[in-house]
Amino acid sequence: MIHFKNINKTYSPNIVGVRNVNLHIRPGEFVSIVGQSGTGKSTLAKLMFAEERPTSGQIAVGGWDITRIREHDVPLLRRQIGVVFQDFKLLVRRTVYENVAFALEVAGTPARRIREVVPQVLKIVNLQEKGDRYPKQLSGGEQQRVVVARSLVHRPKILVADEPTGNLDTIHTREIIDLLRKINEFGTTVVLVTHNREVVNALKKRVITLEGGEITSDVEEGRYKL
Amino acid sequence: MITALRAVKFAFQNFGRNFWLSLITVSMLVLTLLTVNVLMVLQQVASKAIAFAEERIEVSVYFYPATAEERITGAAGYLRGLPQVRDVEVITSDEALRRFSDRHAADEAILQSLDEVGGNPFGPTLVVKAYGADDFPFILDALDNPQFRNDIREKDFSSFEDIIDRIRSTTDRIQLFGMVLSAIFLLIATLIVFNTVRIAIFIHREEIGIMKLVGATNAFVRAPFLIECLIYSLFSVAFTAVIVYSSVAVMDPKFSAFFGGESVGLLEYFIRNWYWIFGMQFVILTIINMLATMVAMRKYLRV
Ligand SMILES: Nc1ncnc2c1ncn2[C@@H]1O[C@H](COP(=O)(O)OP(=O)(O)O)[C@@H](O)[C@H]1O
Ligand SMILES: [Mg+2]
Repeated sequence: MIHFKNINKTYSPNIVGVRNVNLHIRPGEFVSIVGQSGTGKSTLAKLMFAEERPTSGQIAVGGWDITRIREHDVPLLRRQIGVVFQDFKLLVRRTVYENVAFALEVAGTPARRIREVVPQVLKIVNLQEKGDRYPKQLSGGEQQRVVVARSLVHRPKILVADEPTGNLDTIHTREIIDLLRKINEFGTTVVLVTHNREVVNALKKRVITLEGGEITSDVEEGRYKL
Repeated sequence: MITALRAVKFAFQNFGRNFWLSLITVSMLVLTLLTVNVLMVLQQVASKAIAFAEERIEVSVYFYPATAEERITGAAGYLRGLPQVRDVEVITSDEALRRFSDRHAADEAILQSLDEVGGNPFGPTLVVKAYGADDFPFILDALDNPQFRNDIREKDFSSFEDIIDRIRSTTDRIQLFGMVLSAIFLLIATLIVFNTVRIAIFIHREEIGIMKLVGATNAFVRAPFLIECLIYSLFSVAFTAVIVYSSVAVMDPKFSAFFGGESVGLLEYFIRNWYWIFGMQFVILTIINMLATMVAMRKYLRV
């Protein structure tokens, strides 16, 4: 599903994002990417949905070589990858429903289809009752579930979540992780970036560890080392 | 189609959410358009004033009292035959005397001196009106024709030419000033539109970020800004049209009164040409605003 071949990403002037990354994520996998702060986890995630371009190497997503993807085609890719991101928040002046609908509106989805899809994804994240609330009327965990719901509107084959539990307490963290697990069980490939030890250990899924931009370990049913 | 409608919806939302910013932008654009329109009104009134004055320029050609009547009518006929001449009035000696006495009826001294001269000191006179002020040199030249020269005592050019020159130079100066002012306002308006778009991009950066991450096309991200700038132009021109139209409606009769009840045709001019006048302003304003918007997007909208 996702292929990285000899990927290097150097930010100007001379900052290493990731180095020498070779990676293959198969369809339906649940992969955790762990590592200390500044080791290139976010860079790796951004390369997957063309928010960043590699300095060298080759990337393919769903068989599509996106190494030098044209600006024009980026929106197409984005509609196939759901993204839950640290600094990718809700619009405070729109309700939960509107926030989710927004992702469909801007992609030109017909209104009828929007009225169908939004309740469906809100149901998946168990917020169907709170559609007309505003983000600040929700708990942190609920807000993050809205973000997850929004990432699902295009029924993506891949979901990339960068520290989705960064600001959440244990209970809400578990809620989100359970949600990602559920989404994964429906067949979506999930890439989870986290530095939460308990989360990784409880998942018992594939773990990729980054250090200084390089993959230092990649194990099926791994545990959080370091 | 759906996308286009949504871009319009987003544009109106942006316009409404940054209401004060929009208001300032529209006000500045209205100000700019008003200077342009004042300039246009001025042009219209000035040309009317010049035409009004030109109608009143005349040359009085005084003949010697002894001149035979057929020579006078001959000269009048010759002048009427010239394409530059609008009208020739023949004033006989008696008529000239009567007019003079009438004009100075209150002035004993003058009337007395007239009596002392005895008889009629006035010769026949031709009052010649031309179509334009520029035609007079030709007419005066024509009168230098040896056929008439010896009969003519004096040619008197009424002083309206001075007035016309003054109207011309004043309006030319005002026009230059107005154009400079318009250009400055237009420049400021462009900068304001640029800044408004810049601020709008800044305000919406989160929204734009989300749009892009969920797969909105660049065109869709940009469209609302361009449509918003169209809305600015539309509102500005509409406001300006209302202000200009009502001002002209109020001013028109006043101008007419000034020109001795003769209509300046200002209101009529606007009624007849409004779609052209304001349509042109809308098109030009929109083009300029679009350019400002595109430059701002290029600079601040990372896509
Ligand atoms: N846009 C950027 N420009 C320059 N340097 C960057 C940029 N993004 C990340 N970096 C640098 O790249 C390295 C990896 O960053 P990142 O991928 O965000 O790590 P992580 O997500 O693991 O904390 C860090 O040294 C960071 O400072
Ligand atoms: Mg990070």
